[in-house]
Amino acid sequence: MLKGFNRNFKPLEILTEEQVESIHQGTLNVLQEVGVQILHDRALELFQQNDCLVDLDEKRVRIPPSVVEECIQRCPSSFRVKAREPKNDLLVGGNRVYFRNFPGMDTVDLETWERRAPTRKEYYDLVTVLDALPNVHALSGYPYFGFEGLPEVMKMSEGEAAKARNSSKIQIVTHSQSSEIFSIRIVKAAGGEAFGIAHPASPLSYYPEALEALFRFTEAGFPMHAGSGLIMGATGPATIAGSTVSNNAEVLALVVLIQLARPGTRLIANDFVHAQDMRSGAPAFGDIASSLHVAAFHQICRWYGIPSCTSLTGVSSSKRIDFQLAYEKTIPTLLAALAGSNIVDLHSAINAELTAHPVQAILDDDIAEMIGRFLEGVEVNDETLALDLIEEVGPIPGQFLDKAHTRKWWRQEQCTPQATDRLSYPEWLQSGKRSAIDYAKEKHEEILATHKPTPLTTEQEAEIEAILEEQEEYYSKHGLLA
Amino acid sequence: MGREIDPIEQLKEAILTYDTELAADAAQRIVAEKVDLLEALGAMTAAIRLIGDDFSSGLLMLPDLVGAASAMTAATPIIEEEIKKTGVQRQGSGSVVVGTVFGDIHDIGKNMVVTFLRAEGLTVHDLGINVRAEGFIEAVKEHNADILAMSALLTTTAPEMHKVISALENEGLRENTKVIVGGGAITEVFADSIGAEGYGPNAPGAPALARELIGR
Repeated sequence: MLKGFNRNFKPLEILTEEQVESIHQGTLNVLQEVGVQILHDRALELFQQNDCLVDLDEKRVRIPPSVVEECIQRCPSSFRVKAREPKNDLLVGGNRVYFRNFPGMDTVDLETWERRAPTRKEYYDLVTVLDALPNVHALSGYPYFGFEGLPEVMKMSEGEAAKARNSSKIQIVTHSQSSEIFSIRIVKAAGGEAFGIAHPASPLSYYPEALEALFRFTEAGFPMHAGSGLIMGATGPATIAGSTVSNNAEVLALVVLIQLARPGTRLIANDFVHAQDMRSGAPAFGDIASSLHVAAFHQICRWYGIPSCTSLTGVSSSKRIDFQLAYEKTIPTLLAALAGSNIVDLHSAINAELTAHPVQAILDDDIAEMIGRFLEGVEVNDETLALDLIEEVGPIPGQFLDKAHTRKWWRQEQCTPQATDRLSYPEWLQSGKRSAIDYAKEKHEEILATHKPTPLTTEQEAEIEAILEEQEEYYSKHGLLA
Repeated sequence: MGREIDPIEQLKEAILTYDTELAADAAQRIVAEKVDLLEALGAMTAAIRLIGDDFSSGLLMLPDLVGAASAMTAATPIIEEEIKKTGVQRQGSGSVVVGTVFGDIHDIGKNMVVTFLRAEGLTVHDLGINVRAEGFIEAVKEHNADILAMSALLTTTAPEMHKVISALENEGLRENTKVIVGGGAITEVFADSIGAEGYGPNAPGAPALARELIGR
């Protein structure tokens, strides 16, 4: 099992108990009075069979508080997810914090900062780097959105295959044009489990395809991501409290449906709520309002006893690896981890969901290491208090640098980043004035030269190949592939 | 550590594991068992070079460097004492006067430089901390030093180095004594500006710098 990091202190609580109660009651009120729009017949039927008020003409489902609370109870407060190799299993929930990458559609040129589709090799190399990095504990839906030359409809499943081939870490399986039918089989062929994902279309609506995927994933027995995607001021209220209520209703409606479809399904509530940039209309990635929302979201999930994760933390509005990117990634990631997020998306994404790069993933791994070290907190015992040592050393000329205690503890107490410039000024001059990005580029080369992901067996490989061929035939028949 | 291990090996092992007690014990065994003293010095040099190399490549950090230096420092006086007693002839090597300048009492880095210079077989006269210009001059004269090495951690004490160099000139010692400087407050630019011949950003680089200046 991957250890991740343990938060050894109380989580950040942005809301008072009364505020949590107000948001919860507001959410129940929205679900019961306003309801949600469900554009899927089987789902409508399931809600109807379980005491929900269903208007079949409007496709509107009103969920009574008793059903919501019953379904919250059915969610395990912590659970294990099995990876292809047991060393990469996850234990989701409680004080444990994992980090994951966040996708970007394209790769980016590190000189011109222009976007382009990655090659197949670049796609697989990014997976390899994510597999190698110690603080990437799981993989997102896709590292890039497909690669050069790949038909649109094959992008998801080819990605799932790439992740299975070059990494044994747990991945999220997404869906597009029923690709999940094949992706589920690919994951199973490789051995182990993956997270399935279901998400609303804000405000308060659920499209057929997302719900069909929800049923397929739960039938496969996969743990679920109950996703979200509200934009504050556009597809939800501009206020943090209002957007928290609206988003909470959207997530809980998914929780209800998942627990009705397959009671006891392992589930993690995912937060992907953004403030909106009011000039461009794009999400304002890295905006602090999103972090206020995130803190409230995780506090409420903890109150429900549902594990939670954050997907909006790893992205920036900046187009390049620079100062803005660093703070727009680091501050929300830190706050999400402090607020009790069990999985925080961080690695590799650069601009919005548009670009990603392995060099960025390497830089992000140091951020994860720093935050993770902070989460572990302060160890206080006789040895760490060091009273005997302080007495032994005494005032000047006493010193601690040559003590065995120092050698034993400094590495555990500090965090040693892999790609950080900590040289003295003269050494820095001698190094050719190298920066963190230079170190990360070097590390990138080193990982690609040395890291060998655990390969699939020949049988597994053949099975995946056959599934992909079958999928191509399926899309050809349905007129989606020439 | 069992007694069956060769004392020279024990000494190397002690330096590589930062074990001061083991190092002192090894030195005493070397004396008691009449092991070749020059071979013992050579072993220490080899061990501390390994440490220095691993530090330069980023594998080891300061606590390791100081730990190894401490282990060596625990063994050195015992072996040096025996060399004096027995009159074993060492190959001629350079002589270095070292100290932290007046007003500055920091010596961790300076002590490491001393260890690394000694490990290279240089004869090092360590004047300690808070050394006045007159103290340096006296020692340079007394030991006919090839090199004067000064350390300063504080920006406020760095100018003291300039004062010492002026004093060397006034005493007519400047031509025969090369000056090397280092410490937290010192940069290569500063070293040049006061006319020092050498500057080093860290302790493991000191022996090479000294050798280059002495030309031996």
